[in-house]
Amino acid sequence: MYRGMIVDDAMIMRMRLREILDKEFNIVAEAANGQEAIGLYAEQQPDFLTLDISMPQLNGIDALKALLEKHPDARVVIVSAVGQKQIVFEALGLGAKDFIIKPFEAERVLKSIRRLFA
Amino acid sequence: MKAEYANIFIRSAVEVFQKETNITMSRKDLTKKDSPVPSLPVSIIIGVTGFIRGQVVYAMDQSFAFEVAHAMLPNRLPVEIKKLSNSAVSEIANIITGQASIALAGENEKIHITPPAVLMASDLTMDFLEIPTISLSLISEIGVLEINIALTEAGGR
Repeated sequence: MYRGMIVDDAMIMRMRLREILDKEFNIVAEAANGQEAIGLYAEQQPDFLTLDISMPQLNGIDALKALLEKHPDARVVIVSAVGQKQIVFEALGLGAKDFIIKPFEAERVLKSIRRLFA
Repeated sequence: MKAEYANIFIRSAVEVFQKETNITMSRKDLTKKDSPVPSLPVSIIIGVTGFIRGQVVYAMDQSFAFEVAHAMLPNRLPVEIKKLSNSAVSEIANIITGQASIALAGENEKIHITPPAVLMASDLTMDFLEIPTISLSLISEIGVLEINIALTEAGGR
């Protein structure tokens, strides 16, 4: 079973994503900001992570840059309310595999993660 | 501030509440004031920077926050829901502002929104921006949501 990590500053969103992903994936870690995510990623080496953008300390875009610099093969799916075109293009240009805009349907998230391993 | 901002936030709030909680919100009142100081005890403050800047302050009663958390995670125990109430309404405020920012930014602009900060009535000593504000009230079966929109275009555009 593929191992995943959820990064979102909202506890309720981490719980909802875990409820959705737990059905098919093994969620091994959760982080509440970008800084914590970078440390946990190195420690846990998950197969994928979902990453929010608007977070305290280190936002998702800066975390994505830092993460892909250290781990170029990291599979990152952005899950964010900040879905402006310029920001979507920036994230995908940096190397995010997909960009899911909140509010989302559970199936949209599952399809996106499944596609990472197709 | 442009009056169209109000319609953008109304649309976003109605749509987000329907999708995330299955709760129907409808517009009750719209007033103008000098700053986004909230009038209900639980407040969520989100800063906006970029070509539009300012603050959006959401406010509600604690019971409203509890019902939102319950609607988002219906299978959890009440004691757990109580702990999640502020996280739930912060996230809803974040998603509403995020949706509104997509409409406000259009094709070529970029707007940054800060992570939500929760304030309780007893903490309301912070200084709110003195920006002409549109205050919206949306009503639903779980109570009233107040949205105070204090946004201005950077450079006075």
